[in-house]
Amino acid sequence: MLPYILRRLATGLLMLVALSILVFVLLRLAPGDPIDAYVNPNVAMSQAEMAALRARLGFDQPLPVQYLAWLRAAATGDLGFSIQRNGVRVLPLVLERIGPTVLLMAAGLAIAIVLGIAAGILSAVRRNSPTDIGFSVVAFFGISSPAFLTAILGLYLFSVVLRWAPSGGMLTPGAPFSIGDLLAHLILPACLLSIGHAALIMRYMRASLLEVLNQDYVRTARAKGVKEFWVIMKHALRNALLPVVTLIGSTIGIAVGGAIFIESVFNWPGMGLLLINAVDTRDYPVIMGATLIIGACVIVVNLLTDMAYAAVDPRIQVA
Amino acid sequence: MQLKTLTRAISVAALLGATALTTSAAAQEPKTITGGFDVGPGGFQGNFNPLAATGGFTWLNVYFEPLVNYNADLTAIESALANEYAVNADKTEYTFKLANETWHDGKPFTSKDVKFTVDLAKNGETGTVFAARLNAVSSVELPDERTAVIKLSRPDAGLLATLTKLMILPEHALSGMTPKELATGTWWATKPIGTGPFKFKQYVSDQYVELVADDDYRLGRPKADRVINRYFKNTAAAVAALRAGEIQFTYVESDDVAAFKDNKGFKVIEGQSFVANYLGFNQQVPLWKDVRVRQAVMHAIDRQAIIDSLYGGAATEANCGYVAKQLVPEGLNPYKYDPAKAKALLTEAGWDKINGSKPITWLTYYNTPQAANVMAAVQAMLAQVGINVVPRVVDTPTYNGIIYAGNPDFSQFPLVYAGLQNGPDPSGLNIGLNAAQKPPAGANFLRIDMQDLTKAFDAALAETNPQQLNARYQDVCKAMNAKLPWATMWVANRYGVASAKLKDFIWVPAPAGGPYNAHPEKWSIEK
Repeated sequence: MLPYILRRLATGLLMLVALSILVFVLLRLAPGDPIDAYVNPNVAMSQAEMAALRARLGFDQPLPVQYLAWLRAAATGDLGFSIQRNGVRVLPLVLERIGPTVLLMAAGLAIAIVLGIAAGILSAVRRNSPTDIGFSVVAFFGISSPAFLTAILGLYLFSVVLRWAPSGGMLTPGAPFSIGDLLAHLILPACLLSIGHAALIMRYMRASLLEVLNQDYVRTARAKGVKEFWVIMKHALRNALLPVVTLIGSTIGIAVGGAIFIESVFNWPGMGLLLINAVDTRDYPVIMGATLIIGACVIVVNLLTDMAYAAVDPRIQVA
Repeated sequence: MQLKTLTRAISVAALLGATALTTSAAAQEPKTITGGFDVGPGGFQGNFNPLAATGGFTWLNVYFEPLVNYNADLTAIESALANEYAVNADKTEYTFKLANETWHDGKPFTSKDVKFTVDLAKNGETGTVFAARLNAVSSVELPDERTAVIKLSRPDAGLLATLTKLMILPEHALSGMTPKELATGTWWATKPIGTGPFKFKQYVSDQYVELVADDDYRLGRPKADRVINRYFKNTAAAVAALRAGEIQFTYVESDDVAAFKDNKGFKVIEGQSFVANYLGFNQQVPLWKDVRVRQAVMHAIDRQAIIDSLYGGAATEANCGYVAKQLVPEGLNPYKYDPAKAKALLTEAGWDKINGSKPITWLTYYNTPQAANVMAAVQAMLAQVGINVVPRVVDTPTYNGIIYAGNPDFSQFPLVYAGLQNGPDPSGLNIGLNAAQKPPAGANFLRIDMQDLTKAFDAALAETNPQQLNARYQDVCKAMNAKLPWATMWVANRYGVASAKLKDFIWVPAPAGGPYNAHPEKWSIEK
């Protein structure tokens, strides 16, 4: 096992270096640089002033020199300074954004799972009833609405018109931290993030449960006089959940994309907002650092998943 | 029966969820003013170093102060940290008498801080954007603790305007750092010390900045206890927070004004943007050499119709780079909308041979829906006279990357749609139009080289008699109107919206957010 882990880690390290080269090259291929983002075209700066800033930040050096300098520092855990935020180090900046994103995604997925499974069950057991049709129509809209649209509409309806939830941010500015305040800020973006996933889970759950409800063992259970509630909860649900669980696993990746939109609309201080702001302002060190950390997380999670498979199922060989 | 139980359970869960939704955010403490002070073109989110700031002065001025500042009408320069100032006959010595003030940490503010700040601002290693603007400063002398004398090697009519943007910094807090350390230091965003009415408390990354009242402020303890600057990704998010009652002020796009105009809960603040929008003719391409072609462009565009229909009347036609009355002389050519005349001028100039109907890239960084409509209208009007422009909209870094490239590809920007700040300091246009400001010296990226215009700018910049200054800038306006380095379009209005709960709140849509004396110590809020 140990040689396998070491080999995977070494491969992962090479992949991270390749990723950093790719991002570095792509960034430099894009027109404009951090200094260009810094200048307000309505308030012109002289080229000499811009050149001085560029030289101070090292952007006047040849690209390989710039990359090697970054790589050398990154190898020691120093991902440099944010250009747009005076004196802010990239590594702590990126690390502090992981928590809010995980919180938003976890809350969104949890809501999606609860709502999706519950609605799927109701739809299946009341097939073709007004409840089923109603849920199906809602699910249709949920699946087909893009995240940014639902986010903006939800913000307008629940924050501006109804004032049920704050319109953005993670905590009330200047107020002492409280769980209630955090939840009040979390609930709306999490619910909006969950819509698409809940709709998808609901459709899968409904289809899967309907299929299981027609199986012989369900019919047998009913014939034995088991009450309908327990037929569904004990006999049908477990088997019907299997494809849904697989689906939930595969939607986590999609959730990251949705979270970026939601974070942007709600000013949620996660990785998505950080990356969008960094791209807008060509904050190269932050883009490089965030990409590297996300890449490292993916590699480590993949490795852990493979190891977990091996631990759970002895038939899987990891050597 | 059990199925009903399941249904009930789900209903209860849904009800609980809805109840959670209604849990509102924790109530804010009394006397807190929260705004989107860095929203819009006058803002500069996440920037805390005033030496490197090219915008966001509205906010920086809440806790830092310059020696002198514009008044809130942006018509005159008045005292700030300096009680009074005097200029010698040669216009080479500016003597400032300093106010009695303490830094936010209680240490006294003295003339040493002024010298320290000017020296920092002249040192390129600090990341300063002032180095070139303070070129004429030869030394700062300190006869006593309350007097600072800035000596110049030559007269500089723009010095006071530059000093309005130079926030005075504490020597005792910063002298231990090297200029390079200052450029990347965390001090600015963690524990900055100013002399303004509010003290820095905290910055929560990408969320907000919180300031608290400075009890010892020389003009009296601020009426509000806290001022919070909330960050928003875009104007729409800020407007949503304003309408939701979470903030009391933000900049708004002109499209949003209608939603607030008749609402008693809000006050719309309107003013000139001081940014002249223009079609810029790149002089490095052969298209625009003949002035008759440039005149044809002016005659081909119905500016008033665009102002009326697309700006809702909230813009002023510009026949040169200025619209401020004192800078615009009588007798300018108004370039009335006259497509027939435009066609005749193009025929005279031989447009068919110069370009004909071949597409001309029209580059811009303006990416609002309103700008798209304006550009579509202009494109159609120019097409009517036989000029085929094709808009290309890019983001600001891309735009700057193209026009400021070391060896630019001029074919990428034969024509631009842009804006340049024309006030309150009218010398701002010089950097984009004077022949001496062609890159790398300045920002004259269109390589405009018109001798009359350059002479007019040089005369205005050297004019040290305040009574003559407007006349000199009127000459600049005349030269622009005659030579047409740009097809000047208009100066649009800008808007802020403040909650009716705010009292004595001063905000003006100044370019780059000012600065100007907004007197934040007087701002208050009704509960």
